[in-house]
Amino acid sequence: MDKNPITVLGNKVSRRKFLAGAAAGAGGTAALAIAGCGSGKISQPSGNPPPPLPTGITDDDIFNFALNLEYLEAEYYLRATTGVGLSASDTGSGAGTVTGGAAVPFKTPAIQAFAAEIAADELAHVRFLRKVLSSKAVAEPTIDLMNSFNAAAQAAGISGGTFNPFADENSFLLGAFVFEDVGVTAYHGAAGLLSVTADLAAAAGIYATEAYHAGGIRTLIAQLGDPYVTIANQIETLRATAGGGNETALAANAIVAADSNSICFDRTTDQVLHIVYLNATAGVVSKGGFFPNGLNGKITASAS
Amino acid sequence: MTDSINSPKNSTRRNAILLGGAALAGALLTSTAQAAVTDTDILNFALNLEYLEAQFYTYATTGAGLPSSSTSSGGGAAGGTVTIKANAKVPFSTPFLQQFAMEVATDEQNHVAFLRTALGASAVAQPNIDLMNSFNALAQAAGLGASFDPFASETNFLIGAFIFEDVGVTAYQGAATLLSSKTYLDKAVGIHGVEAYHAASIRTRIYQAGTTAQSISQAVAATRAKLDGTSNDDIGVSTSQSGVATIVDNDANGMTYARSTTQVLSIVYGGGAAGTGGAFYPNAMNGNIK
Repeated sequence: MDKNPITVLGNKVSRRKFLAGAAAGAGGTAALAIAGCGSGKISQPSGNPPPPLPTGITDDDIFNFALNLEYLEAEYYLRATTGVGLSASDTGSGAGTVTGGAAVPFKTPAIQAFAAEIAADELAHVRFLRKVLSSKAVAEPTIDLMNSFNAAAQAAGISGGTFNPFADENSFLLGAFVFEDVGVTAYHGAAGLLSVTADLAAAAGIYATEAYHAGGIRTLIAQLGDPYVTIANQIETLRATAGGGNETALAANAIVAADSNSICFDRTTDQVLHIVYLNATAGVVSKGGFFPNGLNGKITASAS
Repeated sequence: MTDSINSPKNSTRRNAILLGGAALAGALLTSTAQAAVTDTDILNFALNLEYLEAQFYTYATTGAGLPSSSTSSGGGAAGGTVTIKANAKVPFSTPFLQQFAMEVATDEQNHVAFLRTALGASAVAQPNIDLMNSFNALAQAAGLGASFDPFASETNFLIGAFIFEDVGVTAYQGAATLLSSKTYLDKAVGIHGVEAYHAASIRTRIYQAGTTAQSISQAVAATRAKLDGTSNDDIGVSTSQSGVATIVDNDANGMTYARSTTQVLSIVYGGGAAGTGGAFYPNAMNGNIK
């Protein structure tokens, strides 16, 4: 069964079709595509193996890709809950600047407590990855938490064309919504690329934490009802357009974002880059959106 | 709301990091010790867990269980029995929760179907499942009274669901690193994520239900941690004194916990011996990991 498929380009696309579309959209040129999504079955694993990794991409490169995303999330939640972002000791030498972000005037203690929890988790992820990567850890890239959200609002067709996720707690939930499901799909995609078992264990642990965050955020937004659910789904459509589908429209009976087999979506690094750069145009994109100067590390530009 | 329950995440970060290191080492040892386990064994282990979850949610939302065609083995052997009270459909009064319960039921049914398809002729039949005496025994172990009926009310249903979901997350996380097929790994991780979405939504609702439900979740979490032998890898729903929630069941590194199959069995058997079973699986699971 397919529940609440996202509408892309005017067509209702089912969860299953999304997967097929994602595979077709990748066109075989995705740098780090994971196979196995399209069939929806694993009865013949040997017949549908993941493509080989591009030469030279290591677990460290994948962890650094993840670290860029964690920097973004940590800055968002720390600023939202405390007004202050990552400290210099957590961002590395030569770190970029961060534009925007301010303490959210929370009114509901339960939302504030959950926000503080997520901030602590994302900070822990930054510190864990930096510790594991040690001297190979990339510095925090330049991050934009202001113009990015406005651009996303315009691209998503959100009324008014501007969006400040730090204005109030409900806007904060929508801002969080922009990130969390993407984190889930990014880590899911990365899990299959890692070669060291301990790295996989760590990635799976971070991935599931992101899924907990997403599940909590989606529950809270669904409870709010409209206009928040409608806006969330405009954001989902934007992500689907840039990120190969891989979305489930939010509703009271669709808290989980997953495919028709009730398995979480995964995204290639290309698809994730298109989303965080807020650029759905096929082809090479290397910066924009939340990362105006691009990511740091080896995985910074989409191949398609 | 005791310190011991919260300590892994909130109180003693330094200790928790040390414990995390120990747990990682333990996981690596476990994977070495279970090197002979095949992907089929692991997927069948997961299928046993999905049978349990699917029966729980399907009964809770419809009053009936899975059809026999969904519980037989790949070879055609009939599935086991389900021990459950009569008229188990939960008297939902909140549509928002009822809709989610139906979503989770569908997800778990999909997981059963997916694993059965993947395993084909190798799929094990559903083992005997107990959804009545098991909850009573767990309530006693957790110090929550002589009996517990997860189908009696919406709040009880949330607690019943809470008992399963975080265990599912830790089980899939532990299993992921044991799988040799990259495709199976991708799918198992994908199911792992869905269980985490479920767990988070249930925990969010328990949080909102108030301190009584939160306290019960803490007692259940502590019992799970005790049953798996660690006493420190499970956190109930709460708010710390510093105003930080525990919607996520994870460690000081912001990572969810992994459990070995042995630890998972100890929990779902209620401390019963491997191969013998107990609690939710009175006659043990089916398959090579039981």
